[in-house]
Amino acid sequence: MEILVYGIINSIILSLIALGFTLVYSIARVPNFAHGALYITTGYTAWLCMNKLVGFPYPLAIVLSIGITAAIGALIYRFILIRIRGMEISEIIATYAIGLAILEGLRWGGLRGMTFTLPPFVPGSMDILGVNIDYQRLIIGGAGILIFLLLYLFTHFNRVGLALRGIAQDERAAMMLGIDSDMTAIASLAIGSGLAGFAAILLLPLGNIIVEAGYNVLIFAVAVCVIGGLGSWGGTILASFIIGFAQILTERFLSSHYTMVVALLAIVITLLVKPSGIFGKQKELEERV
Amino acid sequence: MFEARELMVFYENMLALNNVSLECEAGRIVGVFGSNSAGKSTLMYVLSGIMLDIKNKEEMRGGERISVYGRIFLNGEDVTALKPHQMAKRGIILCPERRRIFAESSVLENLKIGAYLSTRSQTRENIDYVLDLFPRLKDHLKRQGGFLSGGEQQMLAIGRALMANPQILLLDEPLLGLSPAYQEIVINGTKKIRDAKGISVIITEQYARPVFPIIDYAYILENGSSVLAGTREELIDNPDVKSAYFGV
Repeated sequence: MEILVYGIINSIILSLIALGFTLVYSIARVPNFAHGALYITTGYTAWLCMNKLVGFPYPLAIVLSIGITAAIGALIYRFILIRIRGMEISEIIATYAIGLAILEGLRWGGLRGMTFTLPPFVPGSMDILGVNIDYQRLIIGGAGILIFLLLYLFTHFNRVGLALRGIAQDERAAMMLGIDSDMTAIASLAIGSGLAGFAAILLLPLGNIIVEAGYNVLIFAVAVCVIGGLGSWGGTILASFIIGFAQILTERFLSSHYTMVVALLAIVITLLVKPSGIFGKQKELEERV
Repeated sequence: MFEARELMVFYENMLALNNVSLECEAGRIVGVFGSNSAGKSTLMYVLSGIMLDIKNKEEMRGGERISVYGRIFLNGEDVTALKPHQMAKRGIILCPERRRIFAESSVLENLKIGAYLSTRSQTRENIDYVLDLFPRLKDHLKRQGGFLSGGEQQMLAIGRALMANPQILLLDEPLLGLSPAYQEIVINGTKKIRDAKGISVIITEQYARPVFPIIDYAYILENGSSVLAGTREELIDNPDVKSAYFGV
């Protein structure tokens, strides 16, 4: 029972982490390796807002920090990525460099040690199906499902959301219909970064705000996306559940030491067996003439 | 009035369009005929502004050097340097060669994505219009675009372009790979669009016969140059045209 409950929560955590990465990749075709850095930035900004600056109330600090992260994402595209659009290797190098600069900059700026924490939204815990689980993890589960729903509605019924999907499928065909590809890419980076921030605000209260978490988050995001198939939404969620449960099982029967190994091993196995991932873009919808 | 003056396009040193001028008065259907590599698609890309995007991307990658010369006017306004989405906003909509349907979205979603520039009420109206024009699409509204047959995809592509409220509709080889029955549906649909909405249409094809009944004026391209132009009546009697584009 414990495995089931914690497995589900852990899977939702992973998909929250990976969601922003997938979104940016599927729409702007940018593998955003600054994802983990944006995650930590949000946590640190929220911490600063609450403790160093005026002492904002928690909800305000949350909204503000997610907003700032989304803006950073948009600016990264507007001033850096826009020049190297379409060259994957350059995009990886640039975003990875930005990520390193942010993370190491934060470390240099004083983000060291275990003193940086965000409080849980609601302290305490309760029993579900005989398993003791804290409220924060329950909120994560609920918020995760809520965000999936919102994203689904946004991309299927909103004008801008539909335009994003058009660009994701055929950029030039979408342009011919009046959709501005640079604007949609900026929007997707803002939303993707915002999602990284959203995940950070939910997840960081479970631990400390440390620079290393930024790297871990990036590895998990990449692992989930590689296994699910880059740019595939269904694949991302399915892969989150596979890795999520695999991690909980290893934690239970081996040691929590090996959870990171699970993710890395999963990448290696996927690349060996099915390099395009579970739902990777196959050629099955080849054009018909 | 849509007008292109002295268009020249080079891919590196290769001349793809050589001094092509073209006019399309409001509410006319203009045909552009030519064999493979005559420059039809290049012309369409230039007219819709897509060529600028191709050129910029190639430049950024250090790929092929593309040079574009000439001017394009829409109702007297110089639109040569506009980006594709700005062209689309002014009503110049390209329905590209090989259709380029959004394969993973349903038919209805394809239409809705096409309606990016429209208001909500326009969207509803246009969806009704498109389904009226191509009733076959009604049966497949929830189906993924990629699973439609070629003919249905072509109807969807034209419908999607109509969702963007075109003033000038550019159809690049809309009959490619279609059975004669579907060709007729597409051609009749094109005529209806012009008759009902007064939309100007520029249509390219390799083979002129199926399109000829509905055009008002036509240009013949050969190796990037416009070798012949005239009204339907003028061209139909020309022996060269007959042999090359009617297979007579």
